[in-house]
Amino acid sequence: MSSKGKLRQRNPQPEASTSNYEYDQVQEDEHHADIYTSPKSRSGIEKFFEGSQGSIIVVSALTALAFALRFYKISHPDQVVFDEVHFGKFAAYYITHQYYFDVHPPLAKMLFGLAGWFVGFDGSFLFENIGDSYITNNVPYVGMRALPAVLGSLTVPVVYAIMKESGFSTVIAAFSASLILFDNAHVAQSRLILLDAALIFFMSLTIYSYVKFRKYRYMEFTLEWWTWLLMTGFWMACTWASKVNGILTVFCVGVAVLFDLWDILDVRKEGHTMDYFYSHFLARAGGLILWPFIVYLSFFWIHFRVLTQSGPGDTFMSPAFQETLAGNELLMSSHDIYYYDILTFRHKDTKVFLHSHPDRYPLQYEDGRVSSQGQQVTGYGHNDTNNHWRIIPTKSLPETGRGRIVRNNDVVQLLHMPTNTLLLTHDVASPLMPTNQEFTTWARDDYTRHNDTLFKIQLAWDAPENEPFKSKSGYFKLIHVPTKVALWTHPKTLPDWAFKQQEINGNKNPSERSAIWYVEDIIADQYNDEPADRDEDQRPVKVPKSMNFFKKYIELQLLMFQHNAGLTASHPYASGPLNWPFMISGISFWTDNDTQKQIYLVGNIIGWWTCVVGLSVFVGIIAADLLARRRAMDPIPDSVRNRLWNNTGFFLIVWGVHYAPFFLMNRQLFIHHYLPSHLASALIAGSVLNFILSDTINYPISYATSKTRLRPSQYADTGFKGLATVLGYGLVLFMMFIYIAPLTYGTPGLTGEQVNSKRLLSTWTLHFAAKKTHDS
Amino acid sequence: MNRPPAVAIDFGTPDSPNSSSFEFEEVGYPDPYHQHQHQYDPESYGGRANEETLPLHYMSEEKARRRVRAGAAAGNGSDFDGGAAVSGNEKEQFEYQEYDDAGKDVYNKPKPYNGQRISSGRGPSHPLPPPTTITEFLLQNTEVIVPVVYTLLSCWTRFHRIGASNTVVWDEAHFGKFGSHYLKREFYFDVHPPLGKMLVGLAGLLSGYDGSFEFKSGEVYPDTVPYVAMRVMLATFGVLMVPLAWFTSVELGMSQWACHLTTLMVLLDVGWLCISRFILLDSMLLFFTFLTVFCLTRFHNEQFEPFSIDWWVWLFFTGISIGCVTSVKMIGLFVTALVGVYTVEDLWDKFGDTRLTVRQQFNHWAARVVCLIVVPVLVFMASFKIHFLILNHSGPGDSQMSSLFQANLEGNDFYKNPLDVAFGSRVTLKNMGWGGGLLHSHVQSYPVGSNQQQVTCYHYKDNNNEWNILPAWNDKQHDPEGPLRYLKDGDIIRLSHVPTGRNLHSHTVTAPVSKLNYEVSGYGNLTVGDNHDYWQVEIVDDTKRGSVGQVHSLTTRMRFKHVALGCYLRAANAVLPQWGFKQIEVSCDKENNRKDAHTYWNVESHWNDRLPAGDMKLYKSPFLRDFWHLNVAMMTSNNALIPDPDKEDILASKPFDWPFLHLGLRMCGWGDNQIKYYLMGTPVVWWGSTISLGVALLTFAVYILRWQRKYNDMDAREWDHFLYVGKIAFFGWAFHYVPFLIMGRVTYLHHYLPTLYFAVLMFGHVLDHFIFSSRRFSTRTKAIVFGVLVSILVATFWWFSGVAFGIDGPVNEHWGLKWRETWNIYN
Repeated sequence: MSSKGKLRQRNPQPEASTSNYEYDQVQEDEHHADIYTSPKSRSGIEKFFEGSQGSIIVVSALTALAFALRFYKISHPDQVVFDEVHFGKFAAYYITHQYYFDVHPPLAKMLFGLAGWFVGFDGSFLFENIGDSYITNNVPYVGMRALPAVLGSLTVPVVYAIMKESGFSTVIAAFSASLILFDNAHVAQSRLILLDAALIFFMSLTIYSYVKFRKYRYMEFTLEWWTWLLMTGFWMACTWASKVNGILTVFCVGVAVLFDLWDILDVRKEGHTMDYFYSHFLARAGGLILWPFIVYLSFFWIHFRVLTQSGPGDTFMSPAFQETLAGNELLMSSHDIYYYDILTFRHKDTKVFLHSHPDRYPLQYEDGRVSSQGQQVTGYGHNDTNNHWRIIPTKSLPETGRGRIVRNNDVVQLLHMPTNTLLLTHDVASPLMPTNQEFTTWARDDYTRHNDTLFKIQLAWDAPENEPFKSKSGYFKLIHVPTKVALWTHPKTLPDWAFKQQEINGNKNPSERSAIWYVEDIIADQYNDEPADRDEDQRPVKVPKSMNFFKKYIELQLLMFQHNAGLTASHPYASGPLNWPFMISGISFWTDNDTQKQIYLVGNIIGWWTCVVGLSVFVGIIAADLLARRRAMDPIPDSVRNRLWNNTGFFLIVWGVHYAPFFLMNRQLFIHHYLPSHLASALIAGSVLNFILSDTINYPISYATSKTRLRPSQYADTGFKGLATVLGYGLVLFMMFIYIAPLTYGTPGLTGEQVNSKRLLSTWTLHFAAKKTHDS
Repeated sequence: MNRPPAVAIDFGTPDSPNSSSFEFEEVGYPDPYHQHQHQYDPESYGGRANEETLPLHYMSEEKARRRVRAGAAAGNGSDFDGGAAVSGNEKEQFEYQEYDDAGKDVYNKPKPYNGQRISSGRGPSHPLPPPTTITEFLLQNTEVIVPVVYTLLSCWTRFHRIGASNTVVWDEAHFGKFGSHYLKREFYFDVHPPLGKMLVGLAGLLSGYDGSFEFKSGEVYPDTVPYVAMRVMLATFGVLMVPLAWFTSVELGMSQWACHLTTLMVLLDVGWLCISRFILLDSMLLFFTFLTVFCLTRFHNEQFEPFSIDWWVWLFFTGISIGCVTSVKMIGLFVTALVGVYTVEDLWDKFGDTRLTVRQQFNHWAARVVCLIVVPVLVFMASFKIHFLILNHSGPGDSQMSSLFQANLEGNDFYKNPLDVAFGSRVTLKNMGWGGGLLHSHVQSYPVGSNQQQVTCYHYKDNNNEWNILPAWNDKQHDPEGPLRYLKDGDIIRLSHVPTGRNLHSHTVTAPVSKLNYEVSGYGNLTVGDNHDYWQVEIVDDTKRGSVGQVHSLTTRMRFKHVALGCYLRAANAVLPQWGFKQIEVSCDKENNRKDAHTYWNVESHWNDRLPAGDMKLYKSPFLRDFWHLNVAMMTSNNALIPDPDKEDILASKPFDWPFLHLGLRMCGWGDNQIKYYLMGTPVVWWGSTISLGVALLTFAVYILRWQRKYNDMDAREWDHFLYVGKIAFFGWAFHYVPFLIMGRVTYLHHYLPTLYFAVLMFGHVLDHFIFSSRRFSTRTKAIVFGVLVSILVATFWWFSGVAFGIDGPVNEHWGLKWRETWNIYN
C-alpha cells in the first residue's frame, strides 16, 4: 500500500512564508548599484518630470501637437478620397435610414452618421467615385472628417497614459507617444472618413483599461477592480464593433486573461481554493465575454432601429428580413402563386430570365461532344414572351380557393408557353460543362419522358414545409426529381448558335449557393387574365413586419463573415503582411493630375524602423534571458525581468495577435491593417529604450493591500541622457514627418524630381515620378 | 539488439502458465523517490492527509516497473542517487518560497518534483541467460516470433489476388509511365522527387520489363509487361509497414496488448492495404514514414548512453530515412518536421542540463546537424544525381530544364543550331530564371486588360513558342536575300510570333497577376504595328565566353527592354488563372533590376538556313544548377495544381472529409465486368483513431489543470513518458494534416494515409493509458476488452476486404458496404 499511497496524495504545500523570507535576498546584489530606493535620490530632471506638473505639461504639449497635426488643412482635398467612397456612403445611409450591407460592424459608421447629422449633412450625396467634389455637392465633409481626427489625436495621450501606468518614466512615455504622434500613416488615416482611427483609439483604450485592471489585482472585487474590468470589456466591444479586425483585440485580451487565470489556478500561490478560482473565472466571463457581447449587440440593435427603410442592402438579406424594411419591393408587390399561373423566373445572381426558344442545340459541339439536339433553354437578360412559363401541378387540386396555392416542396412541371413544351433535364452533358446536365424541353403530349419533366420547388433558407410560394420574395431552387440536379446558370455565354445567351444547366451539387431563382412577375392566371389581388393578409397599406432582433443579428453576422472571407480579388496596392513592419509599400489614396498632388499612405520610416528595431531587441533580450536562465545564470534583476515579461510581454502579445492572423488570411490585405500592431510595437520600443538607458523602473506599480507582501520599492531614473535622447530623436522624427508630409496631407503639389526624392524606398509606387534616366 | 527482457534469473520451468520472461526485468521501485515522499508525509503534510485525492491514472505494476529505471541500474546514464534526491527535495521547498507572485515562472516546462530530468527512454538492456526449456526459449524470443507472424500475415494480405486486375489502375498510369522513362532513359518531368519512381523503374528492370508500354489509364496490360512482379516488389514496402508498426509501438513502451492492437490496426486497414497493392509511390512513402518514426523512437531509447555506437547508428538511420522519405514525395517534409521538433526539444533540455560540459553540448549539436540535416540533404541530392545520370536521353520533360542541360541530352540537337543569331532568324526564347519556360503565345486573348492575344511562358515544346527576329518598323525592312545582319547588343528589334504573325507588344495596361507591371500581349500582324512593338536587346553576358557584343544561341544571357516604356520583359513563375491554361504570366517590369534572372532570356532553338550549324556539345551544365532549376520547376507546377472551380472533380476531396472517412475514392472504372477497387479505410480504425486524438487532448488538458492544482497523478518519469508518446503521435498527426488545410492545391483521400499512422499510434497510446496499463482493471478485464477490440477489427476488415482485394461482378450485389450516405460505392 505504501507505494500506491504515495502517488495518490496531493503534493505537500509549503506554508506561504512571506514574513520570514526576504524577497531581496535572492536577488544578486550586483544589480543594486543602479537601484534608486528613494524617490528623492533621483536626478533633478527625473524628479521634475515625474511630478504631476511635469507630466501634465508633457501630455498637454503632446495632445496639442497631435490635434494640430491632424487638423492641419483637414479640408484638403475637397474630394472623395479612397475608401471614403464606402464609409461616407454608409454614413449617409444612416441619415436617410436606408438599409445597407457591409462586412464591418456598425459602430464607427454610426459615429460618422452621427457626426454628419450634427454638421447638417442631409445624406443625399452618395460618395460614388473617388475624386467627386464635396464643394459642388454641398457636403459638410470637414465635420465628418473631424471625428476620426479627434479620435486619432486622443490616441496619443492614451498611448502616453498606457506607458505611464506601466511604470515607465514620463520621458519614455513621451517617446512612445511621439512614435504615434509623428507618424504619417496614423495621421493620414485619421484625417479621412475611414474606420481605422476609431478602431485604433478604442483598441488603445482597451489596452489602457486592461493595464489599469491588472494593477488592481490585489484589490480584487473592489469597486475600482470591477470598474476597470468592465471598462476593458466595454472598449473591447467598441473595438470589435468598429471594424471586423477589432476581434483580434478581443483575442489578445483573451490570451492575457488565460495567462492570468492560469496563475490564479496555481495552488502554490497563497493556497488559492477552487472557489476563489471560480469567482475570478466567473467575474472575467461576465466582464470580458457577456458584458462586451451585450454592448456589441446593442450597437446592432441601434443599427437596426435606425435603418428602417429599404435600401441597397436589401438584396443581401432573406425575404423575411426584407419584409421588415419599409418600402421594400418584396413587401410591396409579393403575391401568392396559384397553379396554372403564367410566370417569369429570374436568376438571383445574374438576373437573367429562364428562357427557351424553338432553336435546337447543335448535334456536335466544337470539342466533339454531342448533344440531345433538343430545344435550347438559355438565360436571357430581357423581357420577352419566350420567358413565360406556366406552372403545372402533379397532384389533384380543389376547384378554387387557397388549396390551389403552390407550396414549398411541391413537385411541378413547367410549361413553356410559346412552344407548348415542358422543361426537362437528363443525363446529357451541357454545352459548356461536361460535368453538368443539359436542360431542354419536351413536347407536352409525349408522355415517354414524363418523369424527366418533374421538378421540385424548394424554397431557400429552410422555409417551413407548407410555406406558400410567392412572387418576388419566394427565392427557390428548382430540383430535378429523378437526377437531383439543380437548375443553375453562370455568366458564361453560349456561342452564336444560341445568340450569345447565357448557358443554363443542371448543377450536380444541389447545395450550390448560386442556384437560386425567384419569380419576377405573375403574367397571368389560369384564365389568362390579370391576376386578381389574392393575398393572405389583405393589407391596404403594407406595414413592415417585425422580426426578432436576435434572428436579424445572427443572419447579418453570418453574412458579414461570408462576405469578408469572399474579398479575395486582387488590388494593385494590396501588400503581404511580411512587408508591413518595414514599410515596404504604401497605398495611393488620391491623386490630382492638374496640380500633381497626391495622398500616399506611408508611415514615418524612421519611426517604423525604430519600432522594428525595438521589437527585435526585445525578442533578443527575452531569448537571451531564456538561454541564460537555462544555463542557471541570472543576468537581469528580478523586478526588471518581471516588467519585461509581464508588461512588455503583454504588448508583444498585442502586437502578435494583431499581426500573425493576417498571414493566414486569403483576403486582400493593406498596410493599414498593420496600424494596431504598429501602436503595440511603439509601446515595446519605449520599453526597450528604457531598458537600454537604465535598469531602473518604478516598482512595484500595482496597488498594494494588506494581502500583498512587502517588497522593496525602487524608482525609475533615466536622467539627463533620457531626456536628451528622446528630445533629439523626437526632432529627427518630426523632420522626417515634415519631409514626407506632402504625401500625407496631399499638398503642396510636387514636381517629378521632388516625387523622386520623397520616394525613400524604391518600392513606394508614387505617382508623377519623373522618368528615371537609365545610365548604363 | 536485445530488447528489455532484462535480467533473467529463473532457470526452471515458470511456475504459472502466464508468466513470462518479462517478469524478470521487474526491478524494485526507485527508492529515493519514494523515500522523499515518506519524508514529507508525516511532518509537513500531517493534518492534510485526510484530503488525499485519488490520482486520475494508475499505472499497472508491470508498466510502472518496466518504465521506471531503478536507482541501481542508473549508474550508466545518470548520476542519480539517493543523496541527490534528498537535497533536491530541500531545494524544491526553497524554490516554492522563492516563487514570486508578481511574476510568472518563465520556465516553459513543468519541473518534475524530484528535481530530476531524465528522458523517458528505456534503460540499458542486459544479456539474457541461456534458456533451459523450450517454453523459456519461446518466451524469451516472443520479440522475434510475434513480428514474424505479423509479417507473414501482412504478406498474405498484400499479395493475395495482387494480379487480379490486369488493367492499369488509377495512378499506375503516371507512375508506371515514369518507371518506363527510366528504363528508356528519357528525360521526363514530374512534380515529385525521383527516388520512388526510380524504385518503380528498378522493379521494372528486375522483373524484365522493357519500358515499351504506355500505361494508358484503364488499358489492359499486354504480355510484355510483368505487372504482377512489379506490383509484388512495390507491395513489399507495404508488407514491411506491419513489422515496423510492431517494433515502433514496442519502442514507444506500450504494453503488449497495445502493441498488438496497433500492429493489427496497421495490418487490417483496407486503405493502407489497397494503396500498397499497385504500382504507386504511396507504399514507399508510407514505408519510409514508418521507418523514420521507428528510427526516431529507437534513437530516443538510446538516449541513456549518448555517443555510443547504437546511438550513432540510430541517429544516422533517422537521417537516411528522412532523406529517403523526402526523396519519394515532398510530403516527407512533414515527418521531417516532427523529427525537427523532437530534436529541438531534446536539445533545449540538454541546453538546460548544467552537468554537461560545453564540449558535450557542442557534440550533441554537431551530431544532430550532421545526421539530421547534412545526411538527408545528401540523400536527397544523390537521388537527383542518379536521376540525371540515368535520364541522359532527350524526352518529354526537356523544356522544363535550362537550354544548356537540354543540349547535353542525347537525341537533342540544340547544339547543332547556328551559333550566331541574325535578323530573320526563327528562334525560341528561354527564360533564365529558376524554373523558367519558353516565351509563348496562342490565339486565345486576355479576358481582362487589353483583351489582346495572350503571351505566356510555357514548359512544353510546340511551334507556338517560335518567334521571328525582325527589324523595327521604321528601320530598313528585313530582306531574306540581303546581307546577313547579326544581332548585337543595343539592337532594336521586333519579335513576330510565327504561327499567328502577331508582334510582341506591351502597353500601359496592368498585367493580370503582377498588378504593378505592364501587360505583354500579341498585337497587330506582319504589316500592322506601332512603336510599342520595339524591344531593345541588352546583352548581360555570355555564360561561356564572358562579355561579348553579339548574341549567340544557348549561351548569351540577354534582356529585352521595351523601347517606349523602358520596362523589361519578365516571367517570374506567377501562374495565370484557368483562362491562361495555368501557364506562366509574362509581364513588363518597370523596375530595372539588373540582378533579376527572371528578366534574362537566352535563345534556345534557332533556325536560320543561311547560317552554318554550330557545335555547343562541349558546354556542360553543372549539377547544382540543374538540381536547383528542377526543384524550382517542381514547386512551380505543384503550385499550379490548384482546384479549378469551373471543373467538378469527383475524385478530389477536402481535408475535413478525411478523419471521419466522409468520402471514398473509386480507383478505376465501375463497370460490372471490371474488378473494382475503392480507396477507403477500415471505418473502426479511422473513426476510432480520430476520436482518440480528441480524447488525448482532453486528457492532457485535465492532467495539466490538475497539475497546476498540484494533484500528483503520475510520477515525473511516467508523466514525461506519457507526454513523449502523446507528442510524437499528436504533432506527427498535426504536421501531416494542418498543412493540407492551408495549402491551395487539390487534395485527395490518399494524402491522409501517412497522417493516419500517427492517429493510430495515438489510438494505441490512449487505449494503453486508459485500459491496458491501468491498475483499475484486472488482467481478465483487459483480456476481454482486447478480445472485443480485436474481433471488431478483424470483422470489419473481413467485411470491407473486398474493396482492397478487388470487387468482382456488379457492385450493387455486394450488400451492406455503404456505411455512410456519402460513400459512392454503389452505382
